[in-house]
Amino acid sequence: MNRKVIYLLAFAAAVGLGHVGTILAAPRAIMQVAIQKMSDGGKRVNQFTFGPRTTSHSRGVVRPSPDLLYSSCVYDVSRGPIRVSAAPSPDNGYVSLSVFDARTDNVAVFDSNQFPQGIAFVLARAGQKVPEGMPVVISPSDRGVILDRRLAPSAELFARVDPARRADSCAPL
Amino acid sequence: MAERSFSRPVLALVVVAGLLVGAGSAWHTMKRGGLRGAGSTGWVGNTSAGSVDADPWTRARIALTGLLALTRSQAIYFTTQTDSAGARLTEQCRYRVTGGPMPARWWSVTVYADDDYLPQNEDDALSFDATEVRPDAQGQWSALVANRPEAGQPWASSNKAGQYTLTLRLYNPAQSAQDNLASIPMPKVTKLDCGGAA
Repeated sequence: MNRKVIYLLAFAAAVGLGHVGTILAAPRAIMQVAIQKMSDGGKRVNQFTFGPRTTSHSRGVVRPSPDLLYSSCVYDVSRGPIRVSAAPSPDNGYVSLSVFDARTDNVAVFDSNQFPQGIAFVLARAGQKVPEGMPVVISPSDRGVILDRRLAPSAELFARVDPARRADSCAPL
Repeated sequence: MAERSFSRPVLALVVVAGLLVGAGSAWHTMKRGGLRGAGSTGWVGNTSAGSVDADPWTRARIALTGLLALTRSQAIYFTTQTDSAGARLTEQCRYRVTGGPMPARWWSVTVYADDDYLPQNEDDALSFDATEVRPDAQGQWSALVANRPEAGQPWASSNKAGQYTLTLRLYNPAQSAQDNLASIPMPKVTKLDCGGAA
């Protein structure tokens, strides 16, 4: 085969490999960086961290909403299930708890429309023993992120909503 | 006569160059792949954002530009980088954003700089939302996106945003909106003036 053809074919194959490999690897790599940041280098796992009001200086995660109040829990269910709960906001303001696996997929979400009295569920890996009587979310990965979003588009609402979220829990059973 | 041998070092360089070009094209796809515009409005949304059913390209793009995005049953996100005439949004210009009733429990429009973070200004006006606009009897509302406010107008600041994007969030969207993004009446972004020109 002509030498130039070999180089051309090798280049084309490498371009394809580089493109697809990056696309497939990026979500896990980006999530791993986010998990490291949100857990303070792995020190804060299976516990909520209550973020400050979103401002122009908020650079933990891309495209934060300045109208929402975020709390996060980096979870690790490799040693067993965890129980996750969130108290309602004043006046039944919007609250959601969402679970993101290591591939960035939003594997479950619960909100205050469905559960106006508060949200609670168990997060586990497939095959782990879980208690009865509570919703159970199966995580496809050992680690991931749970995000509490609450509507708080003003400083006044922030002051009212912030105390409510302090009752959030994310802890081993 | 055809050349039948090749140099292994050259081949290795060719492969490395190809891998880099491939990775670069992937990065470009992740950063800009979803912002080509749709129709005359410029707003682009994706019903697969956050979904376990998302294709690898959508998943990678969301991971880079919208990490921890919710699925459409909870929120639908649209982004535009252009005004309604197709020109790139820039902090040098002022824009009027107008719309009608949105099929959601709550909605907001937020300014993001080109690095996908909020613009680095201290205006405390990074977005406007459903609680700020004052719809008329027909439900029509308007707001301003500019580097300075205007009396009586909901305002999102574009100070220090450079060439920016606007993101529309619809929380608890109506089922009809989830089923058909095209049914959502998208806001219109109209350029008013640039560089202080009338």
